[in-house]
Amino acid sequence: MGSGEGRAPRRGRARGNPGSFDGLHRSCKEVFPPQMEGVKLIVTKTLSSHFQVTHTVHMSTLGPSGYRFNATFLGDRQLGPTEVFPTLLGDMDSAGSLNAQVLQLLGERLRTKAVFQAQRSRFVTWQFDAEYRGDDCTAALTLGNPDLLAGSGILVAHFLQSVTARLVLGAELVYHRRPGEEGAILTLAGKYSAPNWEATLNVGYGGAHASYYHRANEQVGVELEANPRLQESSFAFGYQLNLPRANAVFRGLLDSSWSVGGVLEKRLPPLPVTLALGAFLNHRRDRFHCGFGVTVA
Amino acid sequence: KSAPKSQKSAPKSPKNPPKIPLKIPKNQPQNPHKSAPKPAQNALKIPKKSAPKSPQKSAPQSKKIGPKIPKKSAPKSQKWAPKCPKNHRKMELFPVQMEGVKLTVNKGLSNHFQVNHTVALSTLGESNYHFGATYVGTKHLSPTEAFPVLVGDMDNSGSLNAQVVHQVSSRIRSKIAFQTQQSKFVNWQVDGEYRGGDFTAALTLGNPDILMGSGILVAHYLQSVTPALALGAELVYHRRPGEEGAVLSLAGRYSAPSWIGTVTLGQAGAHLTYYHRASEQLQVGVEFEASTRLQDSSVAFGYQLELPRGNLLFRGSLDSSWQVGAVLEKKLPPLPLTLALGAFINHRKEKFHCGFGLTIG
Repeated sequence: MGSGEGRAPRRGRARGNPGSFDGLHRSCKEVFPPQMEGVKLIVTKTLSSHFQVTHTVHMSTLGPSGYRFNATFLGDRQLGPTEVFPTLLGDMDSAGSLNAQVLQLLGERLRTKAVFQAQRSRFVTWQFDAEYRGDDCTAALTLGNPDLLAGSGILVAHFLQSVTARLVLGAELVYHRRPGEEGAILTLAGKYSAPNWEATLNVGYGGAHASYYHRANEQVGVELEANPRLQESSFAFGYQLNLPRANAVFRGLLDSSWSVGGVLEKRLPPLPVTLALGAFLNHRRDRFHCGFGVTVA
Repeated sequence: KSAPKSQKSAPKSPKNPPKIPLKIPKNQPQNPHKSAPKPAQNALKIPKKSAPKSPQKSAPQSKKIGPKIPKKSAPKSQKWAPKCPKNHRKMELFPVQMEGVKLTVNKGLSNHFQVNHTVALSTLGESNYHFGATYVGTKHLSPTEAFPVLVGDMDNSGSLNAQVVHQVSSRIRSKIAFQTQQSKFVNWQVDGEYRGGDFTAALTLGNPDILMGSGILVAHYLQSVTPALALGAELVYHRRPGEEGAVLSLAGRYSAPSWIGTVTLGQAGAHLTYYHRASEQLQVGVEFEASTRLQDSSVAFGYQLELPRGNLLFRGSLDSSWQVGAVLEKKLPPLPLTLALGAFINHRKEKFHCGFGLTIG
């Protein structure tokens, strides 16, 4: 991937790093409200500049209620506002399910990640990830659930290239193997960023996924997902309204499956408390659920 | 604005001495969080020879402790007498079961007329819309009570609750109440109450049906024996073609400066309550109920914490059926908004429901 031979001269800003493949649709997805049901209490306690613990008590109307404990260790190396290396994250459930992640930075450009997930006492996910961030490209390799004895596993390779300052093109290859079966899926991805909006498209054998994100006074996100293998497609419209003077954020959702929902999050100064109220109504199935949550710090 | 307040408090008084199993009208301004099953509970009450103090509890599957607002016991009629205004508080101590989202808009159209719209989106039952109208007349008994009071409530399926309360003379108050379930009348009752110098007598005729020869007649009598002690009795006579019966209950209430205890004993069971005002902010109540017909008993403990400076009201309850619940109400000045958050968990049945509601106006 040459960085200047035979290309058009650069105009405006330089092509930056396109970020990670999973983050292509992120700005659109963040506009949508999270499904809320039951009562949730989250208490976050920062024990030092490196260590933080979180207690979550969730009383659910639909499923089982539980308590989660989360501990996060942040290292010294800080690359961005949310990127600190090394990061060790551990999450334990009252049922004994564990979720552990280790994120480490090797060298200047190589990030590695190891993820382990256990349900009760059985490991369901163990995955290793390496991502190389170049000046205007990103390449990543992920090995999921490798099992040498059974000869199975999933290998995912990503590549993203900033073609211009606004256009990012990339591809994803998923190769999975089980004893007696193997297969590969190729997906092409593209993202165009304008000052006020972003459009992202993923096209592949497994289906198409398009999203559009627009920043007006509020923020609007539109997401279209089509899955030809399952012969279904869905369309969702979401919006986010920021009211900084009222310390409130409202997110609304309208779905092609006739689902309407909204979540209101309000900070209550001077206490470090955030109250979230959410309700979702599925007209087609006539189901309604609501919930509220309190986050302390 | 005191005018809408008087409209709200006036309907409260006639509702509170619900001495009969036919306590029909759910007055929307009082119980914005009444859950949907209530009309069904009212409908079940009629043919039963149930404990007169607890109409809701007569339905076998009713939530016994949940909907606390129209709590009944004969001594409540004494609340008219200026010496016991605390009786109101005692009943409202217990939190109301909340589930789903409820939006209530109260609009005062004039000094005499008020309407309210309620939209309830329910997670368990049916969602509904209620429209209620309240008219308060011009005859003033006191600065906060005016008569006649007409209250109507209609819901989206056509069920109607209507109530007329009027002060016929200086000592006699009467009430007429109707309740329909969609288009069928399920409750119709007429009530008359006489308040003497130190006694109260009331007569209620419920669901009289002259053609079939059926109906329920309830007579109450409550006498102040000393300034602190009140004794009384209640006689419920019901008649159906081929069957008639009567139930007698005796009641007593003792009021001390910071606590009130009431006892109701009869053939239908026993009902004991104790209410204590621990401080300006904290009120505590305990209720014990035993029913001979249902052959079971229950105890409930409830408390209410008021923080007027924080515009906060918190009610919690703990039940002998291993049910714990709480409701938090917070006013949001300067807007006339009240936000209510409630959650109930029944440990024995492992059921949890939560809900929140917003009241405007």
